[in-house]
Amino acid sequence: MNLEILAYPFIFAAIYFEAFFLVTLLSAPAVASRKRTASTNTPMVAMIVPCYNEEQTVSGTAESLLALDYPKDKLRIVLVDDGSTDGTASIMDSFAHHENVTVIHQKNQGKHVALNAGIAAAEDAELIGCLDADSFVDASALREMIGGFDDGRVAASTAAMSVHTPRTILERMQNAEYIMGIACRHILAAVNGIYVTPGPFSLYRRDVVVELGGFRNGHNTEDMEMALRIQKAGYAIESAPLARVFTKTPRTVPALVKQRTRWTTGFLRNMLNEYRDMVGNPQYGALGLLVLPLGFLAILGGIMMFFLVIYQLISQGIQMLMITSGVPVAYTLSTMVPTFANASWFYLPVSIFALLGFVALAGSILFMVVGKNISKTPAQLSVGVIAYMLVYGLIAPFWLLFSVADVATDNRRAWK
Amino acid sequence: MSLFTRNALIALLITVAIIGTVLYAVNFLNQQRVAELRSIEDQLATDTLSIETQFALLEEAPCEDIAAGTISQEVGGVGDKLAYAEERAGANDPEVLRLKERYTLLQIRDYLLTKRLSETCGVNPVVALYFYSNVPGECEECDRAGYALSYLRQTYPALRVYSFDYHLDLAALRTFISVLKVHDGEFPAFVIQGKPSYGFTSLEDLEKAFPKSLFATSTTKASQ
Repeated sequence: MNLEILAYPFIFAAIYFEAFFLVTLLSAPAVASRKRTASTNTPMVAMIVPCYNEEQTVSGTAESLLALDYPKDKLRIVLVDDGSTDGTASIMDSFAHHENVTVIHQKNQGKHVALNAGIAAAEDAELIGCLDADSFVDASALREMIGGFDDGRVAASTAAMSVHTPRTILERMQNAEYIMGIACRHILAAVNGIYVTPGPFSLYRRDVVVELGGFRNGHNTEDMEMALRIQKAGYAIESAPLARVFTKTPRTVPALVKQRTRWTTGFLRNMLNEYRDMVGNPQYGALGLLVLPLGFLAILGGIMMFFLVIYQLISQGIQMLMITSGVPVAYTLSTMVPTFANASWFYLPVSIFALLGFVALAGSILFMVVGKNISKTPAQLSVGVIAYMLVYGLIAPFWLLFSVADVATDNRRAWK
Repeated sequence: MSLFTRNALIALLITVAIIGTVLYAVNFLNQQRVAELRSIEDQLATDTLSIETQFALLEEAPCEDIAAGTISQEVGGVGDKLAYAEERAGANDPEVLRLKERYTLLQIRDYLLTKRLSETCGVNPVVALYFYSNVPGECEECDRAGYALSYLRQTYPALRVYSFDYHLDLAALRTFISVLKVHDGEFPAFVIQGKPSYGFTSLEDLEKAFPKSLFATSTTKASQ
């Protein structure tokens, strides 16, 4: 039996998802969203920065908030120290002299509790922004996001995240992925299919968050849980592709795997427990019928493709070793290196599997380019795209496997 | 119809179109491969005629006027291409089968001419006939044997190797097999310098079946 057949449903789903994205990108709501200019409205906004042991970055985060192009009397900055054990608390206190900055100290209770403390301290705010303490907003980001709230159904808006000064291959790979995420959220917003309001920077209507009971732990993914709760309550989530925010990302493979394991585990636990009824439910439109089911399929497909590739490599390796055993290695190597003499289109290894895989990969690259263009993110994509193509597939299966194992065994990992 | 429903349906059509295009492209490429093989048919026919003509000339012309190498360079690689096309288009593709039959005929004719040259003119090339089977489970060692022979052919240009699918439905091949007395069911089978042998254990053992002169006098490609 040719095991490639097992991969076809997942490749079909990937291409279908990309085709849906492309069609939606060109549809009227998405076009209108891209034409939207920065708002001149200035509702009262509170920017909340929950923080635990971020002494390296919190200062830059606060500085970027102070530099926002927004009237100071309409902008409150709430820095919440969630019981940090490093120098975070004193750094936060050094910003307390700013008229519109409030610093809150609490014992360590988790990010969601810190966010709720910030919301409670900003009673006069119409909108609340949540910004991770390792992220830095562009000066125009807030104005870009506010326009989305002109529609009364909109309860939240997401920003255009990319990696802050990506240098290493791993950071550049994540940058390409994040920039693709900008395009994805922009497109999904057109059909109200966003299922996560990312922590680095998202803006919420305060009364809706309060009405829904504030942030919860949400299986260590409070941003995803809040977005799902907003969707379940019948509100909409917008996306502002020009609201640029730059965030720090894991710099080592184990750290990246740990972060993504938390994200994926959070998705699975939310989906299998509190929000199970949303999956496949036509009441939630694109989110229920397409986005959430494909989330499951992506996890399953990622794991299956990984094992399939491993199996193929091992079985072909063994077969090759058996066939070539006894024949000088130099001859075998010479037959493996293509030369002009034996180069011919006749031997092109073109198969249905390879071509469909190529189409799916080309689609991903297309959305990276779209994400960069619609957000005008200043990024050098080429290295990141190459790294994404070559490295991502080698690392992702690990966090997918760890996540499935954690959910299956009810293993709870610490956030940090 | 909602935007989501409309886009979902359009996306489905696009996906089906993409998959259809991919299927068509792969099929088209396979057909082009077969067409490429077909284009060699003319060369196969020319080579076959050439061999027959040399047979006739052998009756009248002195030995030194007869070329030793008879299968042209264009046709030389057809065996590899046939194997690849067989893998892609399937062993039962009628076009592949037809070309395989013609190529088999050409190989038999070439072998016979080589043998006649050897008898009449004292030319003594080292010849190996290799019989394999494509029937699943019938020849576990055929891939190894074929690879070892490829190595020997590449390394020792003086060696002439002719490969035959034992079960190819071709009257001339059946006769050839019965003349050589190659048993059915024992694969891989070799006829080296006229002596049949069966099975493959290692390259080392296979080399023992060849005359030492092959290894002593051949200019190896590896050393070039």
